[in-house]
Amino acid sequence: MSNFIVNKVAVLGAGVMGAQIAAHCANANVPVVLFDLAGKDEPNGIVRKALDALKKLEPSPLATKDRVAYIDAANYDQHLDQLQGCDLIIEAIAEKMEWKEDLYRKIAPFVAPHAIIASNTSGLSINHLAGVLPEPLRTRFCGIHFFNPPRYMHLVELIATTQSDAALLDNLESWLVTRLGKGIVRAKDTPNFVANRVGVFSMLAAMHHTQRLGMGFDEVDALTGPKIGRPRSATYRTADVVGLDTMAHVIKTMQDTLPNDPWHGYYATPAWLAALTAKGALGQKTQCGVFRKVGKEIQVLDLSAQDYRVSKSEVAAEVDAMLKIRNPAEKFAALRASQHPQAQFMWAIFRDVFHYCAFHLADIADNARDIDFAMRWGFGWSQGPFETWQAAGWQAIAAAVKADIDAGLAMSAAPLPAWVFEVEGVHAATGSYSAAEKKLQGRSTLPVYRRQIFPERVLGEAQVPADRAGETLWQNEGVRLWRLPEVDAGIGILSFKTKMHTLGSAVVAGVREAVALAERECQGLVIWHEAPFAVGADLKEVLQAVGDKRFDLLEQSVADFQRAAMALKFSPVPVVAAISGMALGGGCEFSMHCARRVVALESYIGLVEAGVGLIPAGGGSKEFALRAARKAAQTANNVPFDFIQPVFNTVAMATVSKSAENARELGFLDAADIVVFNSHELLYVALRQARGLAESGYQPPLPVRNVPVCGRTGIATLEMMLVNMREGGMISAYDYVVAKAAATALCGGDIEAGSLVDEEWLLRVERKLFVELLKNEKTQQRIAHTMETGKPLRN
Amino acid sequence: MNRQIQDAYIVAATRLPVAKRRGMFKNVRPDDMLAHAIRSVMAQAPGLDPALIADVIVGCAMPEAEQGMNVARIGLLLAGLPNTVPGITINRFCSSGVQAVADAAARIRLGEADVMIAAGTESMSVMPQMMGNKVAMNPAIFEHDENLAIAYGMGLTAEKVASRWQVTREEQDAFAAASHAKAIAAIQGGKFKAEISPYAIREHLPDLRSGEVKLRQRSADTDEGPRADSTAEKLAKLRPVFAAKGSVTAGNSSQMSDGAAAVLLVSEKMLKQFDLQPLARFAGYAVAGVPPEIMGIGPIEAIPRALKQAGIGQADLDWIELNEAFAAQSLAVMKALALDPAKVNPLGGAIALGHPLGATGAIRTVTVVHALQREQLKWGMVTMCIGTGMGAAGIFERM
Repeated sequence: MSNFIVNKVAVLGAGVMGAQIAAHCANANVPVVLFDLAGKDEPNGIVRKALDALKKLEPSPLATKDRVAYIDAANYDQHLDQLQGCDLIIEAIAEKMEWKEDLYRKIAPFVAPHAIIASNTSGLSINHLAGVLPEPLRTRFCGIHFFNPPRYMHLVELIATTQSDAALLDNLESWLVTRLGKGIVRAKDTPNFVANRVGVFSMLAAMHHTQRLGMGFDEVDALTGPKIGRPRSATYRTADVVGLDTMAHVIKTMQDTLPNDPWHGYYATPAWLAALTAKGALGQKTQCGVFRKVGKEIQVLDLSAQDYRVSKSEVAAEVDAMLKIRNPAEKFAALRASQHPQAQFMWAIFRDVFHYCAFHLADIADNARDIDFAMRWGFGWSQGPFETWQAAGWQAIAAAVKADIDAGLAMSAAPLPAWVFEVEGVHAATGSYSAAEKKLQGRSTLPVYRRQIFPERVLGEAQVPADRAGETLWQNEGVRLWRLPEVDAGIGILSFKTKMHTLGSAVVAGVREAVALAERECQGLVIWHEAPFAVGADLKEVLQAVGDKRFDLLEQSVADFQRAAMALKFSPVPVVAAISGMALGGGCEFSMHCARRVVALESYIGLVEAGVGLIPAGGGSKEFALRAARKAAQTANNVPFDFIQPVFNTVAMATVSKSAENARELGFLDAADIVVFNSHELLYVALRQARGLAESGYQPPLPVRNVPVCGRTGIATLEMMLVNMREGGMISAYDYVVAKAAATALCGGDIEAGSLVDEEWLLRVERKLFVELLKNEKTQQRIAHTMETGKPLRN
Repeated sequence: MNRQIQDAYIVAATRLPVAKRRGMFKNVRPDDMLAHAIRSVMAQAPGLDPALIADVIVGCAMPEAEQGMNVARIGLLLAGLPNTVPGITINRFCSSGVQAVADAAARIRLGEADVMIAAGTESMSVMPQMMGNKVAMNPAIFEHDENLAIAYGMGLTAEKVASRWQVTREEQDAFAAASHAKAIAAIQGGKFKAEISPYAIREHLPDLRSGEVKLRQRSADTDEGPRADSTAEKLAKLRPVFAAKGSVTAGNSSQMSDGAAAVLLVSEKMLKQFDLQPLARFAGYAVAGVPPEIMGIGPIEAIPRALKQAGIGQADLDWIELNEAFAAQSLAVMKALALDPAKVNPLGGAIALGHPLGATGAIRTVTVVHALQREQLKWGMVTMCIGTGMGAAGIFERM
C-alpha cells in the first residue's frame, strides 16, 4: 500500500465546527485553507473573524495560539483554485441541502483527482449528497462527522456511500486515528447517524419522563450527570449549551426523516422548548434558556410557576444510595422496585434507551460496540447503553424491559427484537453483536490499530488490563516494572500503582530500584501507565511527617526524590516518559529528567508546588537553571536571566500547560520530544522511541558542571516584580515568600551573579528552601486545605 | 550668589511627530530620529555656522542598545554637523529632555558657550522591556524597607498618589478623555504644524509573495497617539493594571511612544552676530527629590523652586506643559498647587500625545515655545515627575 499523505486540508464553512476542525488539523501540523462566503467589505472577512474567535475560545481549540497562522483564509469567489492543492476537503456548511448541493457543484471542477471530499453533516443523507457530485468524484466522497468541540471530543463518525472507495475510507480512518487522534465509528447512512440518534433520543426520553413525573429540570440534571457517569451538563444544560434552536432543528430532522420509527410520536419539540425559542431564549448563546444566570445565582425555568427560580441539585438520599450501589444488577433492580419518582425516572430513562438501542441496532450500526463507543466518545458517557445493560445482567434486564413493554409502561409498544432473548450479552472476547448479521463482529483489522497496545475496550470485551499485562520483572507497592515480550522484550515498562499516580515513598524507592534493574536487564525503560501521568507528591505522607515535626526525615525524602530523578537522568539505558493527562509537580520533574518525553496532545503539565506553598525541589528548579544557562550560552550576550524570567512566571503562578505543544512553549518539553495525538498509541510510540535511542548508541549526559547562575541580582530583579504585585494587592504576603523561594532556587541561591555551580549545588539549594517552607505554618495550612478541598488556599 | 553673566535664548525648536510604541516609527531608529531633529533645528537658523556649536546635549532615559553608545554623538554626526562638534547623552529619566535644555542654557549663561543644541530622543519600540534591555536590580534594595520603593513600578506609585491625594477613578478617566479631546482639537486646528518637522519613513519590508524587498515610504507629520473616539465611559471599562483594587488603567496613564526633538540655544552675542530672532528666553530650572513611592508629586516641589529662579509667581504662568505620566499624579499636582486647569496642557498631554520618556522634556519645550509665540503669551513652563521620586520644572519667557 502506498503512503497516504494529507499535505493540506480544505475546510468549507468557517462556522463553529468548520473553524474548529481547521484548528485541529493545524494542531496536527497539517496546513488548512478555510473557506467561507466572500464578505462585502473584506473578501475574507468572515473567515478572519472566525480565526480571531478561535484565539479567544476556552477551552482552546488551538494547541498553541500560533497554530492559527497555518490556517489560510479563503473565499468561494476568489480562491477555489486553491482546492487543487488539497488532499482532503471537509465540507462543514449549514445543514441546508440546497446550499450544499450548490457548493458541491461550484467546487467540483477544482477538486484534485486524488482528493477525498467529506461532509461533516450531522443529519443529511450522505448518499443523497453524493448524488450531487459528478460521477467521477462520488467514489471519493463520504461523511465525516466530528463532534463539538472537535479537538476534545474523541468521536468521528465515518459514513460510506454505496459508491465510496473502501480502501480510501480505510486510509482516511487511519489518518484520523493517528494524525488527529480520533476514535472512529463507521456509521450507516441513517438519519443522525449513531451518536446523535441515540443521544438525542436519550434526551427526548428524559424530557418525556420529566414531564410525566412532574420533575424539575434541575432535579433531572442532578440525576443524569456525574452520578450516572455522564458529563456535568447532564440533560438540560447540554440542551442549553448545544442551543435550544439547534435542538429543535435536530428533533425536526428526526420527525421528518423517520416517519416509520415506533418512537416517532416523541420526535416532537416539547411546548416549553418551542416557547423558549420563540421568545429568543436559545440557551447559553443568549445567556438564557432552561437555565439562566442572574448575578452569581443560577436559575432554572420552573414549568409549574412559568417562571425562573433558584436552581437546586437535590437528589433524594434513598435514590442517591441506590445510584451508589456498585453492583449494576442490584442497582437497576433497586431503581425499578422503588416507588420514589426519582428512582422511577432513572429506571425509565435507562429502560427506554435500552429498548430503543436494541430495536434499532440492526438499522443504525454495524454492532453494539459502535453504539457504546459512539456514546462514550460523542456524548462523554463513561459507559454506553449496551455495556451498561450487559453489566447489569443481560437477560434479567431484557426480561424487565419486556415486562414494562407488555405492561404499557415503556415509551413504545414495539417488541424487543428476538435476538435480544437469544444472546447472553452483546460484547464478548471475540467481538460485539451485529444484529444485522446475527453474529459477533470483531474489531477493525486496519493496521493502524496495531499501534494501540491497550485500546479502549467496552465492558464485557475480554482484555487483560494493562496493570496485569505482560511479564512482571519486579514490583513493590508503588510501582511495577514489566515488559511486553510480544512488542519488545528489551524495553522495560515502569508503571505507578498509586491512586492518581501520586508520588509517595514507595514510588520514589520503586523508581530507583526499577532503573537499577532496567540497567541490568533491559536496553531501555519507558515510564507509562494510563492517564494521569502523576499528580505530584503524596501530600498525605508529607503532612504526616510535618505533624511529627520530622523535618530531618522530610529533607531525607526530598533528597531521595532528587536521587530518583537523577537516576532517571543518568541511567545508562534511555528512559522515556510517556505522558498523558496531568503531569504535575514531582510528575513533571521526573519527566524532565528522562532522556525523552512522548506526550499525548491532551497533557497538562506544570510545576504547581506554589499552590501548596512549596517550590519545585525534585530537580525541577535545577533543570530550569541548567536549561537557562545552556540556552543563554547560545546567545551573544549570554544572559541566563532572559531564560529564567519566563520560567519564574510559570513556576510562581503554578501555570499548567493547556496541551503538549503548550508545554513545549513553557519549557517542559524539549524540541526532540514527540507529541502523540492518539493517547492509545502512546505506549507503542514510547517503546519505539526507547528502542530507537538504545539502537542509536545511547549514552547518558554527563553531570553538568560550571553552570553560571543568575544569583543575587537575578533574585533581586524577580523580587522587584513581586514587590509590585504584593503592594498592588495582587499576591498575598505569603505568596511573596513562596515566590521568592522559587526565585532563589531558579537563580541558584543567594550567591554572586555569574557564579559557577554544579547540579548537586542546585539540588541542595532547592531542597533546603523546600524544607524551610514546609516548616512554615502557612504552607502547612495550604497543603491541608488542598487535600481537603482539592483547591488552593490563598493565605 | 547669582553668577549668571548672560542669557540663553531659544532661536529654533522643532520635533518629530510622536508615534505610538511599535506604531509608525517601529522601524525608525532613535539615532535617526535624533539626527532628523538636529538637522531640522539647524535648518531653522540657516545663517548660523554649525562649527560654532559648543556641545550637543541629548536626553535619553534608556541610553542603551539602539540608543546607546552615546547616542548624542552618533546623532549629531548622522545629522551632518562637523565632527568638531562634541555631544553628550544625559539621563534623568522622564525629565532628560528638559534637563538637556537646562544644561545647554547653563553653559551659555555661565559664558562657557555661545551656541548649544539641546535635544531628546527615545524609542520605546526598541526596548524589549520598559526598564531597558537588561534589568538587574541591586539586592540591597530589598534589605531595608525604606528602599523598597526604588523597586516600585511607576503605575504603583500612581496608585499610591491616587489614594493619598484622593483622586478618584472618575476624575482620572475624565482627565484622560479631556486630554484626547484637546489633542484631537489641536491637531484638527493645525496647532502643532509649526513645531513638527515631518519625518520621511523608509522601510525595507519583505514581500513574501514576490520574494522581493519592498521599499515603503511615507511621511509622518501628525502625532499618532490621540484618539478621537476616546470617552470617559469607554475608559471606565478598562481594568486597573497595577493594583487589584486600583484606579490606574492603561487608558488614564501616558502612552508609550517614540519621539525626538531639538532646541537651538544661543547667547545674546550670537543673536546679534547672526541676526537671529529669539523665540524665548530660558528663565529658570529646578529639580527636587520626593519619596520614591509617590514619585508623581515631584512637580509640587520642583515648580515653586523653578518659579523662584525665574523670579515670577505662579499666577504669572500663561501656559503649563505638565507631563501626564498618569492622570492620578497630574490631578494631585494640580490640586496641591492649585494650578489653573485652563492653562495646563491646552493641547492635550502625554495620555493622548504620548510620552517617549527622555525625549518628552525636549518635545514639550518645543510645544511651549511655539505656543507662547502663537498665542502671544509671556511665561511658559514645562514640568514633570521623574521615576524614583523627583520633579523637574523649566520656565521660558517669550521674546
